[in-house]
Amino acid sequence: MKYICIILLAWLSIKNQAGQDLYACKNAKISLFSSAPLEDIQASSSSGTSVYNPATGDLAFSVGIRSFQFPKSLMQEHFNENYMESDKYPKATFKGKIKEPVDVTKNGSYPVNVTGELSVHGVTQTRTIPGTVVVNNGTVSMTSEFMVKCADHKIDIPTLVFKKIAESIKMNVSATYTAVKSS
Amino acid sequence: MKKLISLAACAVISTAVWAQTTPAQSKTAADSLLNSMDSGTKAEPVIATFKSTRLILGATTETVKKNNLNFLVIHRFGDIGGSEGGGKTLFGLDNSSDIYIGFEYGLSDNLDIDFGRSKFAQQVDLGLKYAIIHQTSDNATPFAVTLLGKAGIKAYHADQGEFPTFTDRFAYVAQAIIARKFSANFSLQLTPTYVRDNSPFPFLAGNERSFFAMGIAGRLKVTKRMGIVVDYAHPFSSFRSNATGDNAFYDPLGIGIEIETGGHVFTIVFSNAKAISETSYLSASQSDWGKGQFRLGFTISRMFSFNKKAKKAY
Repeated sequence: MKYICIILLAWLSIKNQAGQDLYACKNAKISLFSSAPLEDIQASSSSGTSVYNPATGDLAFSVGIRSFQFPKSLMQEHFNENYMESDKYPKATFKGKIKEPVDVTKNGSYPVNVTGELSVHGVTQTRTIPGTVVVNNGTVSMTSEFMVKCADHKIDIPTLVFKKIAESIKMNVSATYTAVKSS
Repeated sequence: MKKLISLAACAVISTAVWAQTTPAQSKTAADSLLNSMDSGTKAEPVIATFKSTRLILGATTETVKKNNLNFLVIHRFGDIGGSEGGGKTLFGLDNSSDIYIGFEYGLSDNLDIDFGRSKFAQQVDLGLKYAIIHQTSDNATPFAVTLLGKAGIKAYHADQGEFPTFTDRFAYVAQAIIARKFSANFSLQLTPTYVRDNSPFPFLAGNERSFFAMGIAGRLKVTKRMGIVVDYAHPFSSFRSNATGDNAFYDPLGIGIEIETGGHVFTIVFSNAKAISETSYLSASQSDWGKGQFRLGFTISRMFSFNKKAKKAY
């Protein structure tokens, strides 16, 4: 009887731990692209951070605005200085929940919708963003493509330069997670 | 029976603990993990202390980034008032005190090479500008320092023996530009300068060939793309301080507005200094604001990017 008790406790504690498993990513690639009449704008950051909790579906992303690299350095300066005001709002974040159940123990590709709060340029919007979670032998990765409207986040585009900048920016996010045991 | 009870108790307790703690703990665990990963955010170098490599008179701490070319057209009209100004010259618009065409190319993100030619003394300047210290967002480094060195040659045809030897045509300037971006809207810079001019203009007996000068300049942004700029310099030259009458010298002072439109920066100024090159405006400013001897001027700065990465698809 004692043994059963111990086994039961052990099983519970294992299950408990499995439920506590978090997945983290420190080098999420986040890129933005927009096509405008005069020039395309593109930039990417490879230092986004993300945490995913498969047990609850909680998903969080954070990226430093200054980490975005543009091919044109002047564009990068204007992105920080004039549009994103990265000294005031250094990060863009997303905190949400995956609606669909994802079984991280089973290989497969799971199309998901994540509902949560997207905070860019100090303005928070509730968004539902589509994405894909791929589980492959214990490796969890996520990709997503969505649009962000500059006006939704109070990013002003002056009429003088509006032909150079599109009103909507296409965002691509990809992250590969590693399991982190939380103790 | 005892054992059964203890078993049941074990199961109940562990299940209860699991059920109770899992959502709460994992929420905080996720948050704290994200925070711990984020806390590694390093202090960033402060960018865009100034919008352009030049303010009004002098250079700023900004350098041209790697593989970028900055094309400069700087113009100074004639005196608005005084004997050369007024309606007969449309307040100086008929005249040009100085015209400068310049190119600045970024060899690295911190080093650029500058080339330019002035109408004033037909001087051709070649220089290097190196951003040696960057201000950081955490104030560990509270200011930026950029070093600027230029050599100029007065290329004009001298038929009255102005330049007895070839070396008399040369002028040099060395600057340590120190700037701080106090806030997103306010930047200030100090520019200790050393000028060596082998034939200082005007050609007067006792004119010092070398002297120190101090520049002070600032920008106050009114909107994100427009700001008020002020630029002032004082040469520490006893010859210039003591000169009086028609030969009196006046410290160069410029006041203007700066407008940025994407790739261009326009500066529209009023300045008493006629010349644009550092060696010339520091050593030869003889125009007095009080006598109406100030002028309209403008600077157009256009940045071109030659970065190959631009063609790479993301």
